[in-house]
Amino acid sequence: MQQESKNEFQGAGKYILDQELASIVNISMKLEMPLLLKGEPGTGKTMLAHAIAESLAMPLIILNVKSSMKLIDALYQYDTLTRLNDSRFGDSKRDVSNIDEYIKMGKIGQAFCADRRTVLLIDEIDKADTDFQDDMLDVLDQMQFDIIETDRTIKAKHRPVIIITSNAKKDLSDPFLGRCNFHHIAFPDPKMMRKIINVHFEGIDVKLAENAIDAFYVVREIDSIEKKPATRELINWIRALSVDPDFRAKDLITNQLPYLGVLFKKSPDYERVKNIATRRKMF
Amino acid sequence: MFLKFFYTLKEIGIPVSPTSFLTLQKALHQGIINNLDDFYTCARSILVKSERYFDLYDQVFAHHFEGVPLPENDGFEVDEIARGMLEEWLKDPKRVADALGVNEDELKKMSPEELIEYFKERLKDQKEEHHGGYKWIGTGGYSPVGHSGYHPGGMRVGGESRNKSAVKVANERRYKDYSTAGPLTQAKIGEALKRMRNMIPAGPKDRINIDDTIRETLRNAGEIELIFDRALKDRLKVILAIDNGGWSMDPYIHVVQTLFDYARSQFKEVKTYFFHNTIYDYLWEDTARYKKPKKIIEFSKLDPETRLVIVGDASMAPYELMAHDGSIHISERSGRPSIDQLQYLAKTFPHCVWLNPVSESMWGYTHTIMTISKIFPMFELSLDGLEKAVTRLMAKS
Repeated sequence: MQQESKNEFQGAGKYILDQELASIVNISMKLEMPLLLKGEPGTGKTMLAHAIAESLAMPLIILNVKSSMKLIDALYQYDTLTRLNDSRFGDSKRDVSNIDEYIKMGKIGQAFCADRRTVLLIDEIDKADTDFQDDMLDVLDQMQFDIIETDRTIKAKHRPVIIITSNAKKDLSDPFLGRCNFHHIAFPDPKMMRKIINVHFEGIDVKLAENAIDAFYVVREIDSIEKKPATRELINWIRALSVDPDFRAKDLITNQLPYLGVLFKKSPDYERVKNIATRRKMF
Repeated sequence: MFLKFFYTLKEIGIPVSPTSFLTLQKALHQGIINNLDDFYTCARSILVKSERYFDLYDQVFAHHFEGVPLPENDGFEVDEIARGMLEEWLKDPKRVADALGVNEDELKKMSPEELIEYFKERLKDQKEEHHGGYKWIGTGGYSPVGHSGYHPGGMRVGGESRNKSAVKVANERRYKDYSTAGPLTQAKIGEALKRMRNMIPAGPKDRINIDDTIRETLRNAGEIELIFDRALKDRLKVILAIDNGGWSMDPYIHVVQTLFDYARSQFKEVKTYFFHNTIYDYLWEDTARYKKPKKIIEFSKLDPETRLVIVGDASMAPYELMAHDGSIHISERSGRPSIDQLQYLAKTFPHCVWLNPVSESMWGYTHTIMTISKIFPMFELSLDGLEKAVTRLMAKS
């Protein structure tokens, strides 16, 4: 326990953490509850897990949830085919009669079996169906699962720090929510964005950063955009702007926005923004 | 500790569970929460499980710790109360009219939208004289709770942690955008339709079937015999029929458009047809209902597993539905009343639903809605309704 008090999460190299989120992360770690993060794409939900792992110097294990995934895939895999092959040809060093040799741990299994505490990121849980979610929470609650083939129980050696992300607008099921702490990450405000940009581009031209961020929030406000550009797009955009030798920061004020394709990736959005931008230039 | 806070949250409609409250107590006992700011964030992450309630939480928090009055903050509650009044009005018009001190008949002339507006106006007028006196509306729990005696600067222990106090943060109501039901957006529709999947094997045989492989290998006296299967793919056929005619559907065009856009991007096989008010001899493939008619009889050739989704307000004059020559378009008068055609469609496609953008509470007032809802399972075109409709469509018959 003494060690744990040192293990407080404070933010990491390239991740800007607001105080609120930091205390939520810390409290979830202390209460040993999974932390469910929701928010627009590009608000850094996945990045947070990376940052926690980095800051606490724990290994990060990522479970990317897919719609067709079954819970057992996340726990372990029984490699029947290899065993079948070995039993037919018998040219491997594995012992065919020992099923354990053919059990491979899935991501959750790996986190449980690890020799030290890990950060387990369960990314985009909303992709899977409700049963998967509830069953998984059972496993995470009890910190153990059974391997049916060998009748062995896998218990977590160290309780991993669990971060779950979801993009869904809809709420997850009640039993699921009951077992998690919840936080919704709002889209960063310009001030916050400024900090984020500064972390990503050291010594960036002040004018460029300011104008780019201003322009970014203006185009984000344009009506009926299907996919609003997020932090990731802004970072790429600034990267594109800063390598262009012909580009001058003050162009952005006069609404000459180059490389719109970096910000808007859906063609109707792109057309719309482009039209608006050209129209504004004429006045 | 903070029992009152917990119950205020509950009363105002945030689904807080006792278990989560115990978790909060545990957190308090562990000494993780040292000041009000910590309490604000931690209690929220433990108790409130959806950003939709963050705004309400902010309001309750500001109320409880700072004495900011609950009902009089601004528009949101007025909307809620006005809606409550409308419901009450539908149940017992006289009581509402009496309470407002106006003539019942005068109110009866107004449409629901007008009524809501009227109620809101009245509520705003009466704010000063009517402190917490909204009890009769039945929304409950809005009566002002006493000051908790918290001093704004007094509970801070750990020094400056943020530039704003939690109460200030709460009072800013940053999460206002996320509260209330909101319009039916594409993302929400996508969420609801997600479960509409019908997985059947398709494509090349590239998945190994382990069970069959083992069985065949045994039969082969241990010589390995690999058996492959096709992967499962979603091959759901959907027919979407939309009422796009006449002014009665005008207010809902936006919502229907969203549904339509989503359906097109989501399903491989979705056919969209249009009709006006109800279905007679034809459905049209073009929005003008002019160029590409398709006879209803021909629909019987299609796969009966096709999901039929009809979107319309189902509101019309009864004869349009019942009479042999009910159609307002002369070319369509083949002699079969629309109601027959609808029944025919419902029989052809057992998996069918009718989505109605009209609020469910108003259905009882329109004769044709009641009649059609006996033929098709009818659901409100809202997030909840969509979910129910999808469950119905995917149910095994």
